Amino acid sequence: MADKMDRRRFLQRLLVVSATGALGLDACTSKPAPATSTPRLAASPSSPAATQPPALTAQLPTATNAPTVIPATQPALAPAPTVAPAAATELPAATSTAAPAYLAVVRGPNPAELTRRAVAAVGGIERFMKKGADVIVKPNICTSYHTFEYATTTNPEVVATLVKLCLGAGAKRVRVMDFPFGGTPQASYTKSGIADAVKAAGGEMEVMSLMKYRSLEVPQGKLIKKWDVYGDIMDADLVINVPIPKDHSAAGLTLGMKNLMGVVRDRDGMHARGLHQAIADVATVVRPQLTIVDAVRILTRNGPTGGNLNDVKKTDTVIASTDVVAADAYATTLFGMTGKDIDYIRYGAEMGLGEMDLTKIKIEEINA
Amino acid sequence: MKAQTVRKLRHWVQLLAFLFFLFLLIGAGRTGFLPADLFFRLDPLAGLTNMIAARQVVPALLIGSLIVLAVSLVLGRVWCGWLCPLGTVLDWAPAHRARSKESDLPVRWRQAKYFLLLLILLMAVLGSASLLFLDPITLTYRTATSAAWPALNALVTGSEQALYAVPWLRGFVDAFEGALRGSLFPTYQPLYGLGVLAALLFLGLVALNAVRDRFWCRYLCPLGALMGLASKFAWLRRTVGSACVDCQRCARACPTGTIDAAHGFESDPAECVMCLECVPVCARVEQHFVWRAPWRRAGNVLPVWRPYDPSRRQFIASAAVAVTAAGLLGSERTAGRDDARLIRPPGARKPEFMAQCIRCGVCLKVCPTSGLQPSLTSAGWAGTWTPVLVPRLGPCDFSCNACGQACPTGAIPPLGLDEKQQTVIGHAYIDRSRCIPWVDGRNCIVCEEMCPLPDKAIKLEELEVWTPGGVTAQVRRPYVVHDRCIGCGICENKCPLKGEPAIRVYPPSEVGATG
Repeated sequence: MADKMDRRRFLQRLLVVSATGALGLDACTSKPAPATSTPRLAASPSSPAATQPPALTAQLPTATNAPTVIPATQPALAPAPTVAPAAATELPAATSTAAPAYLAVVRGPNPAELTRRAVAAVGGIERFMKKGADVIVKPNICTSYHTFEYATTTNPEVVATLVKLCLGAGAKRVRVMDFPFGGTPQASYTKSGIADAVKAAGGEMEVMSLMKYRSLEVPQGKLIKKWDVYGDIMDADLVINVPIPKDHSAAGLTLGMKNLMGVVRDRDGMHARGLHQAIADVATVVRPQLTIVDAVRILTRNGPTGGNLNDVKKTDTVIASTDVVAADAYATTLFGMTGKDIDYIRYGAEMGLGEMDLTKIKIEEINA
Repeated sequence: MKAQTVRKLRHWVQLLAFLFFLFLLIGAGRTGFLPADLFFRLDPLAGLTNMIAARQVVPALLIGSLIVLAVSLVLGRVWCGWLCPLGTVLDWAPAHRARSKESDLPVRWRQAKYFLLLLILLMAVLGSASLLFLDPITLTYRTATSAAWPALNALVTGSEQALYAVPWLRGFVDAFEGALRGSLFPTYQPLYGLGVLAALLFLGLVALNAVRDRFWCRYLCPLGALMGLASKFAWLRRTVGSACVDCQRCARACPTGTIDAAHGFESDPAECVMCLECVPVCARVEQHFVWRAPWRRAGNVLPVWRPYDPSRRQFIASAAVAVTAAGLLGSERTAGRDDARLIRPPGARKPEFMAQCIRCGVCLKVCPTSGLQPSLTSAGWAGTWTPVLVPRLGPCDFSCNACGQACPTGAIPPLGLDEKQQTVIGHAYIDRSRCIPWVDGRNCIVCEEMCPLPDKAIKLEELEVWTPGGVTAQVRRPYVVHDRCIGCGICENKCPLKGEPAIRVYPPSEVGATG
């Protein structure tokens, strides 16, 4: 609007300003292109840079070159949230030092301490990530309606502790995200208390962007053969699933597998097709390496939205496992149920995604 | 100060005021921000019409209106020439100016704006604010909110998606998203039913610049007419000295065409927007803007009252049209019975709402779900561009009370969040001929899951049914506890059926049935 700036000079300036701006912005982000991304799989604490057992790669459709360490007892733990056939069970056992628990249950008053002990019991965070890893923590931040005391969203301390653990182990960045169905993401992140806690811990909140979803084959899906999934969840080196157990009329309970609905698009379509089988289908391709169930508080009625403190039960528990089916099955006991009572857990177990029979697995119970 | 400097200063003020307008628009609804409705508070037409039509006094509007009218009484139509966002856009748009030999448009056309002003004010006296959609500030705001902004966002999002496909650009796109999404750009694409109409109307007004520069301001703008009446008696006024050489430059430079070559190049202060474009072009520096008491008119040729100014005849004509319009609007179908799906924002009450709403569109802008939509005829022509909740597009977010907080007039009352969460705007009804558990005999239950009320207004009844396949099955069917339902509409919004949802919100019977 200055008096007489001719068109050419204006365009020149515009070009210079936008070019510097673009360079500046680009320099701020050092996100590598996915094609050359760092190894995706968990490394053992004893050998963080260990090389790949050759037998494993053959079973994975994507050419990853990182090692996976899986306790001998563990069935069907696909190493990363990647397009891995869940039936690729019986992965070769690797040498493990202090046999980590298949599932850890820690009880006590301090959520941060519970989380630390639970992660330690399943092998420590170093088991799941290497230095420089790109980590995503996926809590349940379903709405912007209530603070975490209402047990509708994951406990911020639990989330922040995981962020700290990952950063402490040398993670390049730790992002926290969910796709709320009620209220905006920003409002939900703030209301839940997770935004503040995560930022204080050094992590980033990411508003899930619609452009990052990509269509993914679901080869083992019974109802779903192809579905849009959040690309970054598939590309991250480590994904930690942090559900909060809640009553849920359609799903019975919302737990770890149900929490993964937050990373797919068209959830209406999942409901319309048959929710439980659809959840299990999604869980065959979206496979977080670690599930941490935040049962500090659980919502026993009027879930998943809640809003009444009388429906909240303080259970002061954190459950950790590499097996989402086992973690979910254990979490049902908090409601006086078993894994068999929840269809998606049963379907998941039938599809070989994990173990639902708690008598068959090694459970380490800790009081913190 | 040199005339050229003042002229430049005006250009900068216009740019800054326009950016400020956009800034308030983008920031609307954020807590702790400047009032999103600042420009409406400085809009005496909207303010007076609202207060007359609704028979209420809104202090913020009254003070703002009085300040602006007082400024006009001293400085003339500076508002139009320096601050008005629509005037600024018209200044920037290419324009046609009359050449000296060309016969100008009939001067009587200028009375159209007074006609509109009188019509709007007389309609207000009759209790109607329907014509406020012609106010330039509401018009510009509405266009920006429901057309320009969503269109820009769609372009940006589309470009991002295209760039994101290129792997080495992802870092850049990520950084852009992280920095601007949710702050500068909305998290989700805003969707508006009347965006195209708003854009066409606005572009039409801008296109009239091709007929004459600032066509809108000269001939149509009712707000300009109001300020013009005040400016008739402004203290700061333009004078032409005796050394004038008839060079015609000032007349050609004048964007409102009020400099009259036939009358010693004098101008009508009611038509002059104080843009000062005439001063630097003068061959002899023979025109000045000087302080002069309105009653001292020595040497002026032009009479104060011009042929196009409001006359008794025009007043009678406006009154006749206003009465006719009021009659027509009062005999609309919607005056007897509301549209079946007319859901108003929380706390809005018939019939006050129609008189209090100034059709500005701030509520549309701050609604995070795009659930609030401008109505075309669902509230009758009397309610065109008033907000209506369309739950299928977006529910009334349980944790949001932004529309009431942002409304400049209290048409949507500023409810606290607790109060808003208990305010009934409608009731949900289940369509058993479409609902999945009723029709197919299998579970769905999304509506119950989504219901945000602590005790759930949608409940499930478990029973054994015959499925269409001829077998019995256990199924959980939803039903609505109407005493609890507040009509937020998230159930309707999230119903997984394509097409007509199986649960729909209707206005509460105690509010909407008859006027």
